[in-house]
Amino acid sequence: MSDQDAYIALISSLPGSERLFVAKQPPLSRLRLDRRLKALTPEDAKVLKVMEHALNWSAYDMDVTDAQAVLRCKQALAEIPQSSLRSLFLERMDLRTVVAALRLRGQGGNPPSGAYGFGLWSRHIPANWGDPDFRLSTAMPWIKEARQLLEAEDPLGLERLLLSVSHTQLKRHAARHLFDFEAVAIYVLIWNIFDRWAQSNPQNAAARFEKLAQQAMSNVADFDFERVSA
Amino acid sequence: MNELVLTLGWLGIYAPMALGAASSAIGCSIAGMASIGAMTETEGGYGRFVGVSAFPSTMVIYGIVIMFTLNRDVTPENAGGLFGIGILSGIALMYCGIWQGRACAAAINATKEKPEIFGLALAPAAIIEGFGVFAFVFALVISAGIS
Repeated sequence: MSDQDAYIALISSLPGSERLFVAKQPPLSRLRLDRRLKALTPEDAKVLKVMEHALNWSAYDMDVTDAQAVLRCKQALAEIPQSSLRSLFLERMDLRTVVAALRLRGQGGNPPSGAYGFGLWSRHIPANWGDPDFRLSTAMPWIKEARQLLEAEDPLGLERLLLSVSHTQLKRHAARHLFDFEAVAIYVLIWNIFDRWAQSNPQNAAARFEKLAQQAMSNVADFDFERVSA
Repeated sequence: MNELVLTLGWLGIYAPMALGAASSAIGCSIAGMASIGAMTETEGGYGRFVGVSAFPSTMVIYGIVIMFTLNRDVTPENAGGLFGIGILSGIALMYCGIWQGRACAAAINATKEKPEIFGLALAPAAIIEGFGVFAFVFALVISAGIS
């Protein structure tokens, strides 16, 4: 466990994570967030980078194999010393493993024998391949809805469900950390979820793009061309 | 042996003051860091943040009063009492100051999002202050029995 008062000023300088989801506009851009995160020690910054690198799909190549993804996550786990962060990382891996298995089965695949995921349920799932919810509906109540969304071919709905489940997991861990590094890391992971959430809404994205474009154009309009040419 | 006992007596006299000062310094710095962070995120209400971050400074005042109350000629007969009351009240004040600082930091962090909960958010810090007052008052009461 890290120093519980290590990042009081940093945490206090960030808008509340709840506000991220109710705001029409992002209250904190990635640029500003990165500027605030410069207060992290090099060791903590490295752990955060490793976690984000492993958990963000945008950090993966399109042609990454399951084995490569699993290897990256295992390597990342070895570099995370904080027990809370390890625990939430493993929970996210469990979620991914279950979704990967649901997708495999949806494509008509047989029980996987190689590396398709890792964690608590990676052996349990192939053993219960015939059950609609892999006998995990008690441990993971959301699995039924995820399966139904996959069967209905609703990827956006599935994305939102998974983001919502991940957010709930993170908030549960956040309740135990107020001003330590874990609190900072959880905040950044919640910010990433918010970012993905915002990106999954095409109307919001279009409106935001239009506003940014207008801002950029108004800056050009204010520019004093005569002075420059003189 | 008497020298050691007398030294413990003097230690007991000064402990509430020293531990109270240390707790106020730590508590105020914890709450102060939160107020500085909150100032970068909010547009106003800075005075409130700074005011809240000064809450733990009361612990050193209690420590000073206990020190003056305990201050007397130290003898082998009263040194044990002075040591016991001084050290234990000092430790109590120290914990109260540090944790009050954390409670204030949490209050500042919450208040920057929801200014309307300012009063309620200070309740935990006020309750901790009450525990500090208990330690202070009963140190004074008990010290009256020391010769």
